[in-house]
Amino acid sequence: MKTFILFVAALLFGSTISTLSAQSTGLDIGNKSPEIILPTLKGDTLALSSLKGKLVLIDFWATWCSPCIAEQSELAALHRKYKQASFTNEKGFEIFGVSLDAKKSNWENFITANKINWIQVSDLKYWRSPVAKTYSIQGLPFNILIDGKGIILAKNLHGSELENAIARQLLKK
Amino acid sequence: MKTKILIVLFFTLATSVFADNTFTIQSQSDPWTPQQLLAPADLAKVLDNPKEPQPVIFSIGLQAIIKGSIDIGPMTPKNLNTLKEQLGKLPMHTQIVVYCGCCPFSNCPNVRPAMKLLKEMQFTNYKLLNLPKNVKVDWIDKGYPMVE
Repeated sequence: MKTFILFVAALLFGSTISTLSAQSTGLDIGNKSPEIILPTLKGDTLALSSLKGKLVLIDFWATWCSPCIAEQSELAALHRKYKQASFTNEKGFEIFGVSLDAKKSNWENFITANKINWIQVSDLKYWRSPVAKTYSIQGLPFNILIDGKGIILAKNLHGSELENAIARQLLKK
Repeated sequence: MKTKILIVLFFTLATSVFADNTFTIQSQSDPWTPQQLLAPADLAKVLDNPKEPQPVIFSIGLQAIIKGSIDIGPMTPKNLNTLKEQLGKLPMHTQIVVYCGCCPFSNCPNVRPAMKLLKEMQFTNYKLLNLPKNVKVDWIDKGYPMVE
């Protein structure tokens, strides 16, 4: 009996630890994504955590990165298609664009000219931006898909792989 | 069977010739030689030792990151002209290093115009900092000296 109680206690302890580690902040799938608080174009700051409850794609990009520019029209299509969608655990889809630009004029002009209507933030610190270090970015473009609780679902998916990852979260009717 | 083997041989040969040509065309289009690529560790060592002769370093990317570098900016016609003016003040044998580091050389719009200019101006001792990924991974993350 004593052995059984000890066994159950060990199991409970183990599962608590694993739950805790799954929710710990990190960059692996299943980790809670690190917080990002950066200025918007208007100058006020916006937190990633303010999008709680939505499926969110964190898109790291810059106007000087040609593959990033090429991807913006695909992101626009995804945003249009899934913005109002109902997901299993989330209501709506949002893109949190984090630019590693160095000049505000380049960043602003591109957003205006291309009518980008999703969230955009940047500290305009180029590769010296602390967020590049926090997210251990090795190159652009780079993205992370997080659920409504900020848990990382997928990393650096592009094209149809990215859309499939979003579609997998849709509410099954 | 013999025909099959011949077809396979033909394709193998054709593919290898094509691959070889691609490689040659790519390396010919780059206005630098492998000897002109400077390893970041070697530059960092020089910057950390004031007794070593210091090169003139030009940042031709979005922002000057490396300690002591002169911020020219991306190679727009205007900035290319600024670089030309700055270079015009230097003796031909000056030790010069240029770097961008926005992205790998294959995607970088800045390194080629700058290296081409240095060649055209007949400098004798210029190098391109070899940042295979970008200035973050290959310089900042290594803890090498940065501008304040």
